[in-house]
Amino acid sequence: MKRSSEGKTTVFGRLRYAIGTWIGGIWEVVRDTVGRIVSFSYSWLTDGKHALYGLAVGRVVLGVTGIGLLLTNFSTRYYFAGSGSAWNGEGVDPLSSFPKIWIFSLFRTVAFNDVVFTLLYVVLGMLAVLVIVGFKSRIVIPVYFVGWVSFIELNDAVGDQGDNMYRIVLLTLIFTDTSARWSVDAWLRTQRPNSRLNFGGLRTIVPDWVSATVHNLALVSIACHVCFVYASGALFKAGGEPWRSGYAIYSPLKTIRFGVWPELSDLVLASAPLVAAICWSTIILQMIFPVALLHRVSRIIVLAGITGFHIGIAVLMGLPWFSLAMIAIDTIFIRDVTWRATGELFRRGIQVDRRSGADLDESSSVGPVAAGRRTAASGRKMARPTAPTKVGV
Amino acid sequence: MKDARGSRLHGRVGRRTRWIKPTIVGMLAAFTAWHIFATFLWIAPPSAIRSIVPGNLLSSYMLPMFGQSWSVFAPVPINGDHRLEVRASVETAGESRNTEWVDATRAELSMLQRHLFPARASIMASQVASDVKQEWEKLSEGQKKTAAVGFFRGADWESRFKRDLGVKANRPQTIAARYAKADHVATAYATQVAYAMWGDGVRAVQFRVTRQNVIPFEDRNVPGVKPPAVQIVPTGWRGTIEEPGQSRERFRETFRRAVLESGQ
Repeated sequence: MKRSSEGKTTVFGRLRYAIGTWIGGIWEVVRDTVGRIVSFSYSWLTDGKHALYGLAVGRVVLGVTGIGLLLTNFSTRYYFAGSGSAWNGEGVDPLSSFPKIWIFSLFRTVAFNDVVFTLLYVVLGMLAVLVIVGFKSRIVIPVYFVGWVSFIELNDAVGDQGDNMYRIVLLTLIFTDTSARWSVDAWLRTQRPNSRLNFGGLRTIVPDWVSATVHNLALVSIACHVCFVYASGALFKAGGEPWRSGYAIYSPLKTIRFGVWPELSDLVLASAPLVAAICWSTIILQMIFPVALLHRVSRIIVLAGITGFHIGIAVLMGLPWFSLAMIAIDTIFIRDVTWRATGELFRRGIQVDRRSGADLDESSSVGPVAAGRRTAASGRKMARPTAPTKVGV
Repeated sequence: MKDARGSRLHGRVGRRTRWIKPTIVGMLAAFTAWHIFATFLWIAPPSAIRSIVPGNLLSSYMLPMFGQSWSVFAPVPINGDHRLEVRASVETAGESRNTEWVDATRAELSMLQRHLFPARASIMASQVASDVKQEWEKLSEGQKKTAAVGFFRGADWESRFKRDLGVKANRPQTIAARYAKADHVATAYATQVAYAMWGDGVRAVQFRVTRQNVIPFEDRNVPGVKPPAVQIVPTGWRGTIEEPGQSRERFRETFRRAVLESGQ
C-alpha cells in the first residue's frame, strides 16, 4: 500500500490513493472471507467423517423399512409381483426402465418362476437384516441396493415416491461409512483394533481423506436432497386451493384408498379448525425445514413436527414404508452427540445427566454444518479459522 | 480421532504431490455441486432456471436413477375412489351364461382397510381402473362409442378393436394407442378375475370402471347430503387375454381370499 509522496500531493493523486486503499481493503476482506470459507470447507470435508451416528441410525431404519415391506407383502408376493401378476404386461414391457437395465433385471428374469422368485425374495430379506446389523456394509449395501431396485421396480404401478427416495438414498449411502457406529462391523473392529481391514476383509487402499471427502459429500447431497423435497412439497401444496383454504387432508382421508382407518379419519376430520391447522402446519413445516435446521431449538421443533407428519401419513393413509423411509433419512439431522446420549440412555436405562448436555455445543452432525455451507457465502460466522475440526467422535 | 494416521498420511503425500489432494477434493466437490443443482432443478416446480442447463442434459442425467416427483397430494389431493368390477360369459356343458359382477377393487382393498401395513396387492385394481378412466377421458366421442361396443368374437377381436379405435401400428403414444393399452391391461386383469371366480369355462369378460368422488368438504355437514354421482366409463365385452408366464392359480389364491375377506 505504499505510495510515493509525489503522488499524494495532487488532489487527483490523493483521490486515487483513497480509492486504491478502499478497493484494496474490500479486496482483502473478500479474499480473506473466501479463503476462510474454502479452508473451512476443505477441512470439514477432508479431516474426518461426519454424522456417523445419524447415518448408522439411518442405515438401521432403512433396513427395517426394507424387511418390513418384504415381510408384509410376503403372503401376496406372487399376486403383486410374481407369476400371478403377469397380466399387467410388465414381464413383456416393463413400465419402469430399471428392469430393462441388465444389472437390475435379475428379479424380472425369475419373476414367473415361483421357487427361484421366493428364494431371491428371502435372500433379499436376509440382506436387509445384514443392512440393519451393519455386517460387511461396504459390500452388503451395494448388493442389497441392486437387488432391491430390481425387486421393487417389478411392479411400478403399485409403487410410490417412497420407492424413489429409498433407491436414491440407498445409492448415496454406498458412498458413506454407515457401519462406523452401532454395527457388527464396528464391533469386529474393536476386536482387531489395529487392523485396517474394512472392505469386508479387504485391506483399505484408499487414503483416509478420500473416503472422508466422499462420505461427507454424499452426506451433504442427502441433506440437500431432503431439503429440496420438503421445500418443493410446500411450494406444490401452496399452489393448490384445498391446501390454501385448509381442508386438503379431508378428501384423501375420505376415500377408501387413503382413508385406511375410517373411524380415525372421522376423528381427525371432526374439527374443521384442526383440519386447517394440520394443512397449514404441513406447508409451513415443509417450507421452513431447510432454514429451521440451522438452530438447535428450531431443528428440534421441525424434526419433531415432520416426524409427526410422517407418522400421520403412515397410519391414517396406509403408507408406512414411505413414511419410515423418510424418517430414516431425517435421522442424519440429529447430531452425533444426541445419538450418543440416546444410546447411553438406552444402555443405562436412566435419565441423562443434565450436565452432559454441556457438550451439546460440539456439533458433529450434518445439520448445522451442511446448512452452514449455504450461509457462509453471506455471513462470516461459519468462516472462523478456529472453527473446531469435527471428527465423527 | 484426528489421529497419527492422518498426519502420517499428510507426510506421505509429500511436497511434490501436494496439489493432488486439493485437485481431487475440488473435482469431487464440483461433481457433488452439479448433482445437487440438478436434483434441485428436477425436484423444484418447473421454472426458468431450468433453461440454464442446455438441451436435455438434466433429464438424461436424472433419469432413470434419480427420477422422482414430489407434487404428492398437491396441488389438489385425490378426492375420489376408482372401482373396477368384472363379469364374464361362461360356458358350461355347451350352455353359456353371464355371471354377476364381482367388485375387484373392494376385494383387494380389504387387504388395505384397517391394516397398519397394507399389502401392495391391495391397490392393483384401483390402479388399473384409474389408468382406464384417465385414458378414456381423452378419447373423442366417436372413440368412446367404440370402447363401449363389445369386441370378443374370434381370435382377431383385439386387432379389430384397435383398428376401429384408430390405433396406428407405429405410433404407441397416440391417445387411441394409450387407451388401447389400458383397455388391454384391464382385460387381462379381468380375465384372471374371471378364471379365479368362475373357472376355466370363461369365454369373454366385461370390466366396468367407475369413479365416485367424496362428499365435498363444504357439504360434509349438510343433513341428508348424497355423495356425488358415480362417473361411469362404458366399456363393452372383450375376449379373454392371458399374458405369457401367467399363473391362474397364484392369482386365484390371493384374489379369492380377498373376495371372501371383503364379504362378497
